[in-house]
Amino acid sequence: MEQIRTASDYIKRLLEDKKDVKSQYTVSETKTREITLENGEFTLFRTLFDRKVSIGVIKDQKPGTISTNSFEEEALKEALEGAITSSESGTAEEYFDIAGGMDPAEFEIGVLEADIDGLMKRALEFKEEVEKNYKKILLMQVILKHVKKDVLYRNTNGSEDTTRMGEYEVMVEFAGNDGTNTTGICGTMASFKDLNTPLIELGSIKRELENAEKSLNPIPVSGKFEGQVIFTPECFAQMLGYSLGVLTTDAVILDGTSQWKDKIGEKVVSEKLTLSMEPWNDDIITNEVHTGDGFRSENYTVLDEGVLKSFCVSLYTSNKCKVERAKNSSMDMIVKAGDTSFEDMVKAVKKGLIVGSISCGRPSTNAELSGVAKNAFYVEDGEIKGAVNETMVSFNLVEMLNKISMVSKERLKDGTMVVPYVCADGILISGQ
Amino acid sequence: MIRDIFKGRDLGFETGVQSVLRGQENRARSVVIHQGVLVTNQRSEERGVCAKVYKEGMNGFASMAEFSEAAALQVVREATQNANYLYKYAKKTKPALGGIEKTYIESPYTIIDFEQKRIIDLCKELDSYIAKKYSDLASRTVVYREDTMEKVIYTSDAGNGYVAYPRVTVYIMMKAETPDGNVVDHFDSFGGKESLEDHFTNLEKVYEGIDEVYKKLKEKANGVYAEAGVKTVILHPDVAGMIAHEAIGHTVEADLVLGGSVAGPNLGKQVASELISIVDYANTYNGAEAPLPVFMDDEGVAAKDAVLLENGILKGYMHSRESAAHFGVEPCGNARGWAFSDEPLIRMRNTLVLPGKDKLEDMIASVDDGYYLLATGNGQADLTGEFMFGVTCGYEIKSGKLGRAILDTTVSGVAFDMLKTVDMISDTVKWSPSGTCGKKQPMAVSMGGPAIKCRINIGGR
Repeated sequence: MEQIRTASDYIKRLLEDKKDVKSQYTVSETKTREITLENGEFTLFRTLFDRKVSIGVIKDQKPGTISTNSFEEEALKEALEGAITSSESGTAEEYFDIAGGMDPAEFEIGVLEADIDGLMKRALEFKEEVEKNYKKILLMQVILKHVKKDVLYRNTNGSEDTTRMGEYEVMVEFAGNDGTNTTGICGTMASFKDLNTPLIELGSIKRELENAEKSLNPIPVSGKFEGQVIFTPECFAQMLGYSLGVLTTDAVILDGTSQWKDKIGEKVVSEKLTLSMEPWNDDIITNEVHTGDGFRSENYTVLDEGVLKSFCVSLYTSNKCKVERAKNSSMDMIVKAGDTSFEDMVKAVKKGLIVGSISCGRPSTNAELSGVAKNAFYVEDGEIKGAVNETMVSFNLVEMLNKISMVSKERLKDGTMVVPYVCADGILISGQ
Repeated sequence: MIRDIFKGRDLGFETGVQSVLRGQENRARSVVIHQGVLVTNQRSEERGVCAKVYKEGMNGFASMAEFSEAAALQVVREATQNANYLYKYAKKTKPALGGIEKTYIESPYTIIDFEQKRIIDLCKELDSYIAKKYSDLASRTVVYREDTMEKVIYTSDAGNGYVAYPRVTVYIMMKAETPDGNVVDHFDSFGGKESLEDHFTNLEKVYEGIDEVYKKLKEKANGVYAEAGVKTVILHPDVAGMIAHEAIGHTVEADLVLGGSVAGPNLGKQVASELISIVDYANTYNGAEAPLPVFMDDEGVAAKDAVLLENGILKGYMHSRESAAHFGVEPCGNARGWAFSDEPLIRMRNTLVLPGKDKLEDMIASVDDGYYLLATGNGQADLTGEFMFGVTCGYEIKSGKLGRAILDTTVSGVAFDMLKTVDMISDTVKWSPSGTCGKKQPMAVSMGGPAIKCRINIGGR
């Protein structure tokens, strides 16, 4: 932290001579320790020491941003001057601004020191568990890491946030494989605070391993029909991400092309959907301390029982379009649980799919989406008939969110989100 | 720019292990003008050193955000410790990696820096052209992206050298309202290797490209949904590159082959139409430099072409030194890392479907009911060879003639099945130099090909 403070103090002194410049600057150091298993064997151990300095300025109401990973005074001076020089070519707008001053605060989040021996113990335990109980799984890659980050954020309005954070992460990539047949790649991840829980119990790892084993002999879906789709939590989060991108973010609010541009306070999706962004939720591991504009991050609601409460926009868009800014920029999604169990949800499906992810092109502004249903299972008359492949789904994201018929009681908590299974009707499904 | 500060120095490589030291700088320049307002104005530089140490199948890696001799010695020491730590857990060990010729390679490129003002002025000029000429747009955006990298590489038992990858891209994005009040968008990219001055001194070709983006956007505004199902399509050369990269390229990366890819049991077999040949070019195609020339990879291996498919027969995979040793073949220089803190992974370089003999107009004329797919967004592939990519521009083909534009959609297929349906290939190749592949890390790639006629599953209504 000492070197961070020294670098930040130097930038602060440089800025004291530039009275006409608004600035926010972040200085950070990261240490990552990461272990990789490939095809069931340990193959790689990495230690990464990283630094970053990011300086944003607004001069004459024109913005500029520069970043470097050097703490040397010459580099810092050059960075600040570079940011100011590049801002001079910008377009002046009264809407560019940064947050006002906040009381200095210190945050300590998670486990700061990595226990590598403990992590290796959990990795070995996981590998042995998969080898013993999931014999039709080829464990392609497991990446386990601990990330420790020290950050000092300041702005010229007097804010000063000191943050020390540490977290563990696991990413698992595998395929069902019986020696003859293979499934597609399945992947899942989780963030976690400590090493108290076996890896297989985290997030959706166990469920995904089981599903991959069941996917080795896919059945064909023939023809084209309108059916129900149960989105797994990960898949629904993917759909929400796409939806928010084309309906609520800076670009589409600024140019007015969002279908929801004038819909704050109106019902825009099914009343079964309540979505909030909650970096301070107890189930979120890495808490966002402040927004990209320097405001203290707070939880906020995007959709409340189908009613649009907020866009996901920055201070600039807020000022320019006269809408409320997002209270955080974390995208830590919390979706309210429903009242249907996953088991009952499946039983209620007449004809459709359970979809684990959709491999698709990024949807354009009209919110149309079509893609390949991956890690997917065919359901008929309330029964899972088997895994499918080469099956496409096509729908409009807004229409899909309006056709939500069931939300599960169960929710996935993987440290980055809390999301249930969601079933929507009227999805076009096409097979061979 | 970074200098070679390691030449002639003792880099602390230990005996009994195989070591690589890399010094690297990545530079990014980003400008976004949205609706005439400069909303993004960013510059960044990240430099540092990393070391990778191989010990009988175990790899230690360390990186540090400092480009100095002291940092180099520290990362070599740390990476060696990491390899030794992991070695304690080795159930079985592997032999040392095969020998590589000790050469010094220097790529002919250097990184040229431009003042941000020059970049912003370029974007303003392009924005002004669009604003003046096309006032009926719902939205316009000009994006400038420069992602350059340069590397100094030293190894204990392979080549050494200096390589640089300058690359610049301008994206033009437009949105228009449809007659029923919806919004459609379309974009195209311009640029390639080298610098701003090499691509954007004379803007006439970019203006022509902008006019084409507008024309296609307006046609799309009156477009129709594609009819979902398996259809006969002509893939424009821009789209065929995606076949080379997504449908085939990823399945023949040796790390994915070891992970169970469908290519594993098919080496030497006929997996595609005899018309299909695919090569991952290192730096030269047909006597000219490829769009993203790679002369040496990050393991110190001199780059050479990797033949993947020849007349429909699967001929080989792309390798790192370690996977090449596993399969008993020579590596072709495919191991590259994105940032100084990234270990090299097996990556594509310039992956191309080789041209055939057909004329594009004859290919279109041969389709009774299908689609001509001209532009693509992102794509993905799977171990099974199942792939998909987004289609952002296309037209119906009815009775051999182009019809209405179609709205954005997605196509998918199983690579080896789809490529067996190819029955015509055009005689002209087009490269897409601005690709960024995502596989744990991003990586600059280029891809290309001729127009291809095949059967493919298309999403829609």
